[in-house]
Amino acid sequence: MSAQSMPSLVSNNHPTAVTEIEVSIDSFIAKLKRKQISGSYIIALETLQLLKRFISAVRWSNVNELIAQIRELGNRLEKANPTAFGCGNVIKRILAVLRDEIEEDMRETMAGQGNNDTNNNTNNNNGLTPAEPLISSMFNLLQKPEQNSQDFYESRAKTKTDFRQVVIQAIKDLIDEIKNIDDGIQQIAVDLIHDHEILLTPTPESKTVLKFLIRARERANRTFTVLVTEGFPNNTQNAHDFAKKLAEHDIETIIIPDSAVFALMSRVGKVIIGTKTVFINGGSIVSSAGVSSVCECAREFKTPVFAVAGLYKLSPLYPFNVEKFVEFGGSQHILPRMDPRNRLDTINKITDYVPPENIDIYITNIGGFAPSFIYRIAWDNYKQIDVHLDGKQK
Amino acid sequence: MAPKKGSVGNSHSRGDRDMDVEDRFQAVVLTDSFETRFMPLSADKPRCLLPLANVPLIEYTLEFLATAGVNEVYLTCSAHANQIDEYIENSKWNLPWSPFKISTILSPEARSVGDVMRDIDNRGIITGDFILVSGDVITNMDISKMMEFHKKMHAQDKDHIATMCLSEATEYYKTRTFEPAAFILDKSTSRCIYYQDLPLLSSQEKGTVQIDPELLEGVDEFSIRNDLIDCRIDICTPHVPPIFQDNFDYQSLRTDFVRGVISSDILGKNIYACITGDYATRVESWQSYDTISQDYIGRWCYPMVLDNNMQYDQTYSYESRHIYKENNVVLAQSCKIGKCTAIGSGTKIGEGTRIENSIIGRNCQISEGIVIKDSFIWDNSIIGDNSNIQHSIVASNARLGQNVTLNDGCIIGFDVIIDDGMNIPKGTKISAKPIKDLSASGFDLDDSDEITDEENTEPFSSLVGENGVGYLYDSDTSDDEEDASAGIHKVSNCLTHQIEELYLSDASISSITKRKKKKRTMSSNSMYTDREDIESEEDEEEDFEAEGLATVERALENNHDIDTALLELNTLRMSMNVTYHEVRTVTVMALVRRVYHFISTQTLGPKDAVHKVFNHWGDLFKRRAFEESEFIDLMNIIMDVVVDTKFEKPDLILFGAFTSLYNNDILEEDVIYKWWDNVSDNSKYDTVKNLIAKWVEWLRTADEESSEEESSGEE
Repeated sequence: MSAQSMPSLVSNNHPTAVTEIEVSIDSFIAKLKRKQISGSYIIALETLQLLKRFISAVRWSNVNELIAQIRELGNRLEKANPTAFGCGNVIKRILAVLRDEIEEDMRETMAGQGNNDTNNNTNNNNGLTPAEPLISSMFNLLQKPEQNSQDFYESRAKTKTDFRQVVIQAIKDLIDEIKNIDDGIQQIAVDLIHDHEILLTPTPESKTVLKFLIRARERANRTFTVLVTEGFPNNTQNAHDFAKKLAEHDIETIIIPDSAVFALMSRVGKVIIGTKTVFINGGSIVSSAGVSSVCECAREFKTPVFAVAGLYKLSPLYPFNVEKFVEFGGSQHILPRMDPRNRLDTINKITDYVPPENIDIYITNIGGFAPSFIYRIAWDNYKQIDVHLDGKQK
Repeated sequence: MAPKKGSVGNSHSRGDRDMDVEDRFQAVVLTDSFETRFMPLSADKPRCLLPLANVPLIEYTLEFLATAGVNEVYLTCSAHANQIDEYIENSKWNLPWSPFKISTILSPEARSVGDVMRDIDNRGIITGDFILVSGDVITNMDISKMMEFHKKMHAQDKDHIATMCLSEATEYYKTRTFEPAAFILDKSTSRCIYYQDLPLLSSQEKGTVQIDPELLEGVDEFSIRNDLIDCRIDICTPHVPPIFQDNFDYQSLRTDFVRGVISSDILGKNIYACITGDYATRVESWQSYDTISQDYIGRWCYPMVLDNNMQYDQTYSYESRHIYKENNVVLAQSCKIGKCTAIGSGTKIGEGTRIENSIIGRNCQISEGIVIKDSFIWDNSIIGDNSNIQHSIVASNARLGQNVTLNDGCIIGFDVIIDDGMNIPKGTKISAKPIKDLSASGFDLDDSDEITDEENTEPFSSLVGENGVGYLYDSDTSDDEEDASAGIHKVSNCLTHQIEELYLSDASISSITKRKKKKRTMSSNSMYTDREDIESEEDEEEDFEAEGLATVERALENNHDIDTALLELNTLRMSMNVTYHEVRTVTVMALVRRVYHFISTQTLGPKDAVHKVFNHWGDLFKRRAFEESEFIDLMNIIMDVVVDTKFEKPDLILFGAFTSLYNNDILEEDVIYKWWDNVSDNSKYDTVKNLIAKWVEWLRTADEESSEEESSGEE
């Protein structure tokens, strides 16, 4: 509650800069808590902007400290709103890039130190993607890298590389990637949607789905019908807006009641869902309740379910306790206000979890993947060590 | 009426000036409601710091203001002002990243909302449109919609001064009946045409609404609504505080201010109502505390929910069926946590305990085999084995022994200790310290009022047991006339509001409000002291004389400044509805008495006394008479009074009074001539007229001389 109880993120070398960044972090956290910032796209971008300012403000004496500070920030943001995964995701991505860079730096230094022995090796590897160096025997393989890198993190106070620049560049790249996410996805759209097909989407609030469909119509000039579920009570307005926009682009659009999904499923060619977060097991959180049952229906009818998601929505977390990741909304939309003593208990989920077996393919900006392959993409982009930001680093 | 017009004009100019700083969005939070409904707990802690769902009430209001994008918040505190000030000082709102600048305004003198508003006006902090909100509001309302409505209406109607926000309630929602009121709204513009408090459902009175037909002129269609929850969120223009300043008798926001403004054709201002379907209510009684807590836990106020963890040290997480738990909660394996429950960190719950629909604070020790239903256990309470708590509140640091039963609607105060095996009857309120009779202490709950009264300890051991600490708080000890409902009242101003008791509890509240009003007049500033007597109409005039005399004499005695005296008189005049003639009479009488007092005690000679009094206080007449005829009236009054007072030298006194007034430019020459020409020939005045005759003669010659010199042909 008071200033003392709050962790101080940054060392006190520059009080003015420190307070400034503290102010913006805390007001960002307050906004997250109040749910004034919502939507995974916006959250991801805002987090990156904040991180950029944070990186410019912090002071550190070695890289290890920098990483610790970024982790601390990420932890606070994640705690502020545990269902806004965007914050954690982007910060973990940046951490992964940073760690890669450090490793490379270390390798170069080590190469420099052991100049004589490994001269050939370094020359070969220079400028290429970092391959595992110096694995020449089983002994080395077992002995290797963590120990070294750990030493490096701790022992090295000075590095050649300017890590501030590295991180800022990484942030810029990631912002670019997020902003251009739709292009990648839309490229695939054309191939997936056929003429005279009937599509169903239960997530009308997804901008990605909207653009995906419009692109298919405009680029490929396909004619198809889109069924939109009404999403009562939380999503009805979105569904109407979505349908209007599609209709403006000359796509035949029908809004159907949620109860009619099963009846219509036999005629549907593909189900397209937008996701909020994709977990490492290939399951995903989607932003309207009821999508889970739609996907269940689709499975019953063997209708393919396509989930569209930007790479930044991929989270390295595993959904052990789904209830924790699902958001519960207000009750006021379901029932009129009544006295607590004689009213029904109402529970209004506003997001839903779709298990991986009910999704056939993920369409991301780097291509389409089966849910079972998602873990591999996750480990390309994240480091195991950064999955959980709370607690101490090993 | 001139003073009123003057100040309204003044406020206009103020409004214009502030167009420049419009980007500042201000809010005034009234932390004190000037009620005693939360006694005995509010004796120790102000209402706005009582926890609702383990968070002080004020936080909900501030959170709402933060979401609304307010830049400056002023908290007005009167009772327990230092506690609130200290709380705010240490809260997150005082940190550099707080979304707004917060400052507390301490006005311990204030006795009503009206006083607070006058204080705000005196401080001149309001620069633009501002939100006026009470410190116990819980809402998820989108203020931007209301602001839009306010701006739109402001553009259409330049006399628009305030927008009230009202929340629509369904017929199933009983909270709306706590302070029933009818709003008569213009259907097309939703302008509030009339406002009336309604009698509660149960009371014998019939709910009638009387509207002056004039108010309905030019209204095509109107609706009369009593389904609106008045959540006391108003957007006001800067014109509002000065209105309170001008109408010194305005006390409450709704009954006095809203009604006064919309039914007054002098002010010519309009108030609009913005009706929202969002959740918005006030915690204004134990019943609403109960209802709102359950609503809040049941997520009816989303996105404002407990697991947002708005406090820095909160760690609530949500589980389905509306169960919220903080970190570090220790639950025994066999305890059962039912639906709609929140448990704070550090709390331990023992084997076999069942909890349902309840909110448990932090660091509570809840032992084995306890049943807690529909109840509120605040921080650091200890509850012994096998107790049974039904629909009650156990405040912080209270200790309950083993096998204690709290029946429906009990309120156990701070630090109360209840011995083993006690059975507390329905609706009992217990506090650790005896609280003196309400009517004596009024709102001012200083420590001095809580004198340990040995006689008050009589129900003490029978209720809380031999080793217990606690005194029965009986709100009915004060002698109120509505004794008929007193018996019911015991049960009712507490949590209970099961359907069968609803009607009864309503009745009790009506008794509370009535008593409250009465008390307010008693404890407010001296100028209102006798308002009740005034209400009996037959002796109104006499009363005014006595009151007015007392007022002026007090002013003379204590040497008030003239503005204050004027305001007091003005208030009195308006509240009793008398003419200026009476005011003048009273003033003159008081002044002359003063003179007489000086002379009779031989402090001053007659001449000096008259000059001293009339020179200094003559200004009192300046704003009591405006036209010639009124001045003549004044002179007649002075003459009458002087004759009646039977001075030794009445002519000297009268002459002195007139010359003083003349020298101070209160009486003009023309007026004096006219008066002299028409002066009554009654013989009783003959003695006093001697000197005046000479003076008038002298004046005339002097006048003629001067006019001759200037050769301007005046007469």
